Amino acid sequence: MGKQLNTRCVVTGLGMVNAIGANVEECWENALAGKSGIDHVKSVNADNCYANLGAEIDFDLPENKEVDRVSVLCLKASEEAFNDSGIDGNIEDATRFGVIMGSCVGGVVSIEEYIKNGEKTEDINKMTISPIANNVATKFGAKGVITNVGNACAAGAISVAYACELIRAGVADAFIVGGADAFASVPFSGFHALHALSENPCSPFNHSNGITLGEGAGAMIVESYEHAMKRGAKIYCDVLAAGISSDAHHITAPRPDGIGQMYAINRAIDMSGLKKSDIGYVNAHGTGTAKNDEAEFLSLHTIFDNAGGELAVSSVKAMVGHCLGAAGAIEAVYSIKALTEGKVPPTIGYSDEDLEVLKEKAGDIDFMPNTAKEKDLKAVMSNNFAFGGSNASVIFAREAGDVKETENDSEVYITGLGIVSPLGNGVENYIGKISEGAKVEGNSAKCEVGKEDFDKFDIKMAFFRKLDKFSLIQVVSGLEALKDAGIVLEEGKEEDYGMIIGTGDGPLTTVYEFEDHIAKEGNENGSAFNFPNTVYNAAGGYLSIKTGLRGYNVTVTNGSQSGLQSVAYAYHEIKQNRAQGMLATGTDENSAVMEKLYTQLGLVAAGNAKLYGETGMTLSDGSVSVALENAESAAKHGAKKYARVAGYGMTHEGVKYGTVKGSEAGLKSAAEKALAMAGISADEVDAIYGLGNGCKDVDDIEISVNKELFGGKKPVINVREFVGEARSAAATLSVAHAALTLSGELPAKQKAFFFENGVEEKEVDTAGFKNILVVAVGAGGSYSAVVLKKA
Amino acid sequence: MNEKELQVAEKIKGMLVENLRIPEEELDYEIALFGDGIGLDSVDSLEIISCIDSEFGVAMTGVAKEHFFNITSLTKYVIEHME
Repeated sequence: MGKQLNTRCVVTGLGMVNAIGANVEECWENALAGKSGIDHVKSVNADNCYANLGAEIDFDLPENKEVDRVSVLCLKASEEAFNDSGIDGNIEDATRFGVIMGSCVGGVVSIEEYIKNGEKTEDINKMTISPIANNVATKFGAKGVITNVGNACAAGAISVAYACELIRAGVADAFIVGGADAFASVPFSGFHALHALSENPCSPFNHSNGITLGEGAGAMIVESYEHAMKRGAKIYCDVLAAGISSDAHHITAPRPDGIGQMYAINRAIDMSGLKKSDIGYVNAHGTGTAKNDEAEFLSLHTIFDNAGGELAVSSVKAMVGHCLGAAGAIEAVYSIKALTEGKVPPTIGYSDEDLEVLKEKAGDIDFMPNTAKEKDLKAVMSNNFAFGGSNASVIFAREAGDVKETENDSEVYITGLGIVSPLGNGVENYIGKISEGAKVEGNSAKCEVGKEDFDKFDIKMAFFRKLDKFSLIQVVSGLEALKDAGIVLEEGKEEDYGMIIGTGDGPLTTVYEFEDHIAKEGNENGSAFNFPNTVYNAAGGYLSIKTGLRGYNVTVTNGSQSGLQSVAYAYHEIKQNRAQGMLATGTDENSAVMEKLYTQLGLVAAGNAKLYGETGMTLSDGSVSVALENAESAAKHGAKKYARVAGYGMTHEGVKYGTVKGSEAGLKSAAEKALAMAGISADEVDAIYGLGNGCKDVDDIEISVNKELFGGKKPVINVREFVGEARSAAATLSVAHAALTLSGELPAKQKAFFFENGVEEKEVDTAGFKNILVVAVGAGGSYSAVVLKKA
Repeated sequence: MNEKELQVAEKIKGMLVENLRIPEEELDYEIALFGDGIGLDSVDSLEIISCIDSEFGVAMTGVAKEHFFNITSLTKYVIEHME
């Protein structure tokens, strides 16, 4: 399986804010004391709702009108962690310092503000998840891998896992990781509609009659042991391992048999090198819904009963509520405090009768009713499970373990493509359309999926009617890529294949429409039908349900470059043996809502857009999926190899979110890192698949960096010429188009831009191309670059 | 169905098409909404309850399954309980 990844990942800083504290110490002491932060909700109107409780932060937060409340929370926790770690001034290379944040609902408070307060332009760039990590990165000078994880309630835990993977891969030294979510009408109304809110303060594993929502943020500084030692940092603990999986079962409910959860937990234990009995405390997901608690109870008993240890399990949600995308981060911080202080926080809410019932059902596990306990802990586990069937388990330990993570030296190939675009659907259609010179017209273009696609991929009505357009187009492109690659899931190997979904705006249309509806009709009238589609990982969840892929499944969301970041992320999962094959995708949708928002931002062209022509963009959409496989998996089913992924770079040059001006250095650094990893020089690049979209600030950056790196002499091919600015879909389509070019599927003669003497357009012969550099940008100054080689 | 029943049934049908995205051509008044028919699930039933409450002012929370069988049975229940 290749070389052992020995790099130790350690935690050197902690930060936290939630309903029971403004910092780690307060949150910790109050949790130990069993103090509840749950009260009648104030920030959301619950007058006509059957439940009216929440764990809101009722103390003053730092004033910052530039960002959404979710970023205020995230910045606060991040600042505490940053200061706690003493890392300031001790970062040798800022391009090896990153930020990964998890969130479920992102800037949804700003959508409410926008709708209720006169549709102010300044609120638009705060609406999604994307700004969160950008805001943190810009504030603390991080210029490395910047992204957000959109896996709903498992997002915060996955951010820790991915940071450690990147440190072990040697592409980063340190990260600020964590997660944040603010109390908001959309989740309150949505869980209310699902009848998932408890009328009483939640008491997980005890009453299991629903959740109580909370808000907050958790942050950690995770860095390589070497980096921490060099600067003499205090070390809290090691992050030994993580397990991530997908249920492939249901969009909101966990698998009743718990096998997805158990895979994640067991993988974390296996990779940590620990014995089950070494884990003394599990900070459970413990939401308090009947379905969660039953599945989790089963998983924990199945894995830990008779393992020879003494396990304590508790859910801090009984005190701080369910903080959604922040939950995994907040609970990781609680887990680390438990480990380092030797104390386990309780689950509160047990009456005397409840304690009697607990005695009957608890078995060998101590469910920590009502009071904290001192406990000598060697290792602890934090578990989170989410909508979309997402599972994550992370293990922290007091000492370095015998970590089993490995990296292989197998090549990674693109073996399948799936394309949904305004030019039509399907790879064959795309090749045909490009061959005949087709392109979208006007300033707005939209893709469509329908009966033909559903019949082609056997998508039944009972399934497709549940999905919004965002999820539908992702499912169709994903199924095509999988079919094109010829990947057939063998029984027992379902976890060997997974996916990284990339999206800039996620399901913003659905979230906006949900908010618009409850703003008019009241929080008591939220739609149970639409709510599951408001989470960013719904598309990946549906795709896993439809395909049965139960492996690593993460949605990354950081502007339009997410569709290229997903390729880099997926490549990395295969290299580190967490998957044999992965789908990497880019999906963003156009709609009346998106047209309104992008037009108000002044980014849409008045008529036809012209790339590098200062016109503004043609707002467009689509979903593109590429299947990546290692050589062994590709050989097993005789897969065609379109191209080989040879290297990547992910960087950030912080500018105000929503802008890109002044972030040239980010693009240059991403390109240089990708070339270095691929082992090629700038001279060896045959063409760049570019990122310009017709907006002057974006185009100027590409032109200036191209001149600097390539003297403006290399051809630039840009798919937005054909499909418009499809955001993440355009970023992944650049990869697909490059792969089709290298494999000779597209006509050899292609139109390219040259920047040596102004902007020139010339026809180039692509037949001899061996190396292509694909680049993409995200608002706020995030960049990804990927090198593809001829297979 | 009489005129009033037809009116209610059409409204329910429209709501199923609009809010639960069931293709109109798949729906008639008799087809089973759950199970082997249209294949609705528990989340859909919450949406139906919510819509019937706001459209007709009829509360169906906790009402026996058979009333949710098809559009005809929903119509019957709504008419019997409308003020």
